[in-house]
Amino acid sequence: MNAPLQSRQQILERIRAATLDCAQDPAMRAEAYAALPRAYTRHGQLSAEARLKLMIERLREYDAEVVETTPEALPAAIAAQLAASGKHIFVAPYGTPAAWMVTAAWQITGFEWNIDHGLTTAEIEQAEGVVTAASCGISDSGTIVLHHSASEGRRVLTLLPDWHLIILRASQVVETLPEYFARFQQPSGLVTWISGPSATADIEMTRIKGVHGPRFLNVILVRDKS
Amino acid sequence: MNYSHAELDPRKAHPFPKAVLPVLRNPQLRKNVAHAIDVIQTKRARLVAEKDDWQELRTAASAIRAHALENLGAYLEQFEERCTAAGGTVHWAADADEARRIILDLLRQEKASEVIKIKTMTSTEIQLNPFLEANGVSAFETDLAEIILQLGGEEPSHIVVPALHVNRSQVREIFARRMGLKNLSDDPKELTNAARTYLRQKFLAIPTAISGANFLIAETGSVAVVESEGNGRMCLTLPRTMITLAGIEKVLPRFQDLEVMLQLLARSATGERMNPYTSLWTGVTAGDGPQSFHVVLLDNERSSILAKAKQRQTLKCIRCAACMNACPVYRQTGGHAYGSVYPGPIGAILTPQLMQMKFAQSLPYASSLCGACYEVCPVKINIPDVLLELRAQVVNQERGRAARYFDPMYVGLRIANLLFSSARLFHAAQRLGRIGLGLFTRKDGWIHSLPSIGAKWTQTRDLRGLPDESFHEWWAKRGPQPDKEAK
Repeated sequence: MNAPLQSRQQILERIRAATLDCAQDPAMRAEAYAALPRAYTRHGQLSAEARLKLMIERLREYDAEVVETTPEALPAAIAAQLAASGKHIFVAPYGTPAAWMVTAAWQITGFEWNIDHGLTTAEIEQAEGVVTAASCGISDSGTIVLHHSASEGRRVLTLLPDWHLIILRASQVVETLPEYFARFQQPSGLVTWISGPSATADIEMTRIKGVHGPRFLNVILVRDKS
Repeated sequence: MNYSHAELDPRKAHPFPKAVLPVLRNPQLRKNVAHAIDVIQTKRARLVAEKDDWQELRTAASAIRAHALENLGAYLEQFEERCTAAGGTVHWAADADEARRIILDLLRQEKASEVIKIKTMTSTEIQLNPFLEANGVSAFETDLAEIILQLGGEEPSHIVVPALHVNRSQVREIFARRMGLKNLSDDPKELTNAARTYLRQKFLAIPTAISGANFLIAETGSVAVVESEGNGRMCLTLPRTMITLAGIEKVLPRFQDLEVMLQLLARSATGERMNPYTSLWTGVTAGDGPQSFHVVLLDNERSSILAKAKQRQTLKCIRCAACMNACPVYRQTGGHAYGSVYPGPIGAILTPQLMQMKFAQSLPYASSLCGACYEVCPVKINIPDVLLELRAQVVNQERGRAARYFDPMYVGLRIANLLFSSARLFHAAQRLGRIGLGLFTRKDGWIHSLPSIGAKWTQTRDLRGLPDESFHEWWAKRGPQPDKEAK
C-alpha cells in the first residue's frame, strides 16, 4: 500500500495527465465557469399571493399540515397547533424569538418545555415535538430550508421528535430553487432542505410517510409584509 | 425461499447473456421489476412534463459536470483545502483496497466494532461490508431497501431503489425471520414501522457512521447527501465520527450549482419535485453533529476513464438511475444480470471501464442502442455512443486471438466480407443460398426452423425465404425499355 501522501500525489498526477487537453490556469477556469450555459428559469412568474398559495398546496401534497396567521396572532396559532398535536413534551432552539413566547402558549398546563441550551440526545429523544423557525421556503417544490441558526435549532433537535412545527414567514418564501440560491450566496455550513415528512417508497414503490425523520410536519405561514 | 445471487463482483460474474437466464425464467422477479419501473416512469414523466425549462436544466447540468471534470484536479484540491479548514480530514485512495484500509484504520482508531451506514453504492463498489465483517466490524445498513437486502442476504439490483426486485410478501418473510416478528403483516406501512423500530436504538447507540456523497462542493468544502427516509440525517447527526466515501468525480465547482442538480436529480430518480431530505454539511460544526469528520476520495480507475475523450462523459453521472428505468433491456432483466453494483445502461458503460476492460466485456452489448437512456439522462451522457466505443474496444481485444477462428460469428462475418467484396461471388452465393434455404422454406414463403447455428435465429423469430429471383436478375431479364419522356 502507498503512503497516504503518495496516493494523493499519484491521483492528482493521473488527473492532471488525463486533463491536459483542458485549461489549467485559474483565470481561464473562472472564465470557462462564467461562460457555462444557464438558460433555465431563474425567476418565478407568480404574484406574491399565488406564490404563497402554491407553497401551501405543495406542502399539503406532501401531507404536511399548513395554517396561515398574522404576526400578531402567531403565539395563539402556535398554542393551537400544540394543543391539537396531542403531544405533551416539546423542545425548542435556544434562539426561539421571545415574541413567540409572550402568551400563555408556552406555559399551558400539561405541556413540558425544554429549551435547547445543550440538551443531551437522550433528552431530545424524550421530546414528542419541536418548534423551530426556518430560513426559506421554495414554493415550486414545497421545500423548506433550515440553516440551523439559533432559532432554527441544531440538526438533532429538528430530527428526533416525531412532530415538527415550522414557523415560516411569507417574506421568506421564494418561487424557484435558483431564487433561494440567489438569496443565500454565502451558504451556511449546515443546510437541510426538507420537502415533506420523512418517507420511503422502497417497498413496491408505495410512498409510506414517516420512516426515521419526523412523521408529522406542520407549518405556520406568517403573513408578514414582504 | 432463496433468491440470492453471488456478490456483485464483475471479476466473477457470468457474461450477461448467461447471467440473464435465471431472471428470464423467474416471472415473479420480472413482475416485481416491471411494476416498480412502471410506477417510477409514470411519476417521472408527469413531473418532467410540468417543467418548462427541463432541456435548459439538462444543458446546464451537462456543462457544469463536464467543466468540473475538465478541471477536476483544481476543484478537488480546492475541496480538500476548504474541507480541511472547516475541520474535516481528507484522505486519498488510489484503489478499492486502499479505501477499505483507510476506513478500517479510522474505525480501529475509534475502537469501533459496529458502524451504521447511509446507502452508498460506492461502498458496494469496493466491497466494503464483507471486508469490515472479516475484520471484526459489523456494518448496519440503515436505508430501508438496504436493510431488506442485508437481512435477506440479497444484492442490490438498482442504484436508487436497490430492493425493487423484492415484493412486499418477500420483505415480510425476511423481516419476520430476521427480526423475530412472527405476526408481521405484509402491509408496507407495518413493514416500514418494523424497520424504524429495529434501527432506532442503533442510531442512538452506535457512535460511528459511514456515508457516500451525492455532491462535493469545491467552493465551500461541503458534502451533500440526498435521501428520503431520514436515516441519512440520523447518521449525519447523531454519531461522534463520520466517514464519507466519495468517488473523485463527485465534485461540483460551486454551492450554487446545486440549483441545477437538485432540480434534476429528484425528478429523474424517484419522480418527485424534491426528495424529502437533502443535507449539506461542512467539516465539523461545534455543538452540532459529529465532531470528527473524514472524507475518503476514491479514484479506483476513474482517472483512467477521465483520460479518454469519448469515455470521460461517463463520469458526469449523478446516479439518478433514470437510464435504467427507461431501458427496455433492464426492464426485462432487472439489475443482477449485470454482475455489478452499477446495472442498466450506465452500468454497461461504467463497469467495464472500472475494470479496465479486463472484465464485464459482455455489458456493452447488453443494449439495443435504442437511445432511451441518452434521452432521459439529466446530464446528457451519450450512453449509446460510449457503448459503441466500448464494443469497438472489445472487438479489438479479440483481434489476433487464435480462438476467434472457432467462433461461428467471426467466421461467418469473414465469409460475408469475402462474398460482399465481389459481385460474381455474391451472385453465386445467392444462387447457392436459394437452393440451400429452399429446402427449409415452407409454402408460406417463410423459414420457421433452421438446423445448427441457424437455429439461434429461428428459435425466436421466422426468416423470410429468399425470393425466386433477385432484383438484379429481374432487371437484366426485363431488357431495355422505351423511354416515355423522350420526344
